[in-house]
Amino acid sequence: MEATPKLALFEKTMLPHLDAAHNLARWLTRNEDDAQDVVQEAYLRAFRFFDGFRGGDGRPWLLAVVRNTALTWRSRAKALTHVSFDEEIHGAGLEAATVETQLAEGSKFVDLQDCMELLPVEFREIVVMREMEEMPYRDIAEAASLPIGTVMSRLSRARRRLRDCLSARMKEVSK
Amino acid sequence: MTCAPAKGLLEAYLDDELDAAQRAQVAEHLASCSACAGMHAQLLELRSAIRSHAPYYRAPAGLQDRVRTALRHAGREATGAWRWIAIAASILLAVSLAWNFTLWRPHAARPDLVAENIFASHVRSLIGTHLLDVPSSDQHTVKPWFNGKLDFSPDVKDFSAQGFPLIGGRIDYVDDRPVAVLVYQRRQHIINLFTWPSAAPGGATELSRNGYHMVHWNAAGMAWWAASDLGAGELGQFAGLYRQ
Repeated sequence: MEATPKLALFEKTMLPHLDAAHNLARWLTRNEDDAQDVVQEAYLRAFRFFDGFRGGDGRPWLLAVVRNTALTWRSRAKALTHVSFDEEIHGAGLEAATVETQLAEGSKFVDLQDCMELLPVEFREIVVMREMEEMPYRDIAEAASLPIGTVMSRLSRARRRLRDCLSARMKEVSK
Repeated sequence: MTCAPAKGLLEAYLDDELDAAQRAQVAEHLASCSACAGMHAQLLELRSAIRSHAPYYRAPAGLQDRVRTALRHAGREATGAWRWIAIAASILLAVSLAWNFTLWRPHAARPDLVAENIFASHVRSLIGTHLLDVPSSDQHTVKPWFNGKLDFSPDVKDFSAQGFPLIGGRIDYVDDRPVAVLVYQRRQHIINLFTWPSAAPGGATELSRNGYHMVHWNAAGMAWWAASDLGAGELGQFAGLYRQ
């Protein structure tokens, strides 16, 4: 089927941000199948609301839709409930053996990924947009529907938690 | 700058969110304070760890096709629902135009197709919900909004001072091409100003249909059509302002 002019314009504006949409959805859902479903659903929603797009950079606008779609994604509601960092890191949930395996792999990669995934979702999304998408505060504020001040304080707290989480891992390993 | 304010600005500095003066002050402080420089180094280290070790999940092959297919499928469903309404509207419009043709014929020269398009688009914009794609009274918001949506950049002017405030713009289809429409208000009356590139020579034409008035002119390689239910005098005044 031929694309209508509106669809052609939508695809031209929004499809270049497919990687960003998928990356955010993947970090929010922590699951590849859900991430792809969220991306597809988000693009359909975004197209329905495309008349409300005011032009300019499509990325923060699209990511706002991706974020809302992911946060209301029905089948994974559980995965998105807040995981307390303290319980996960210092509680019984983390097997020492796991940590040793990771050490054996020499995997800073795994530690960092784990620490990111353990962040509460409202901190995780800010880190993904700032450090991976390299978005300015203003765009993050638009995508997350937050005041800029809140973006800054969440980013700061997220960085502190990541540093604490990484150093806690180091200590566990060296025990 | 002392440590306290520098610490408060450290992350904004890292994220390149400071203005030039603040950036210089923080940089100067970092050069002379090893405690703050250490915190800055830690933040940089965390950033580089995230960027090099946390996975960036690119869209897998096939996701783009899946999204495009879903979009087309959704579009087709919507088309089905709207098709009958569109057909009914077209029949009404055709009947109305045919009736109007017979009425106008004695009074006016045979109207050309573009004028019909403009007239229909103007009426459609008033009865539908698609008057504005970009609601803004700021010409510096409206003009860039068209960037990337059209292959030309329309000249957007505001005449609030003269009683014709700009209220926004939209994209419409006239004469088989997308055109820019700038929307102005005069009291309770809407003026749609259509424009697109055209090689036709200048000269103004005024037309009237069913209480609607249109003014058409060409200037600087662009065709302009203003349509409104304003009196011919006021619409002429608006066109005069634009052509200055």
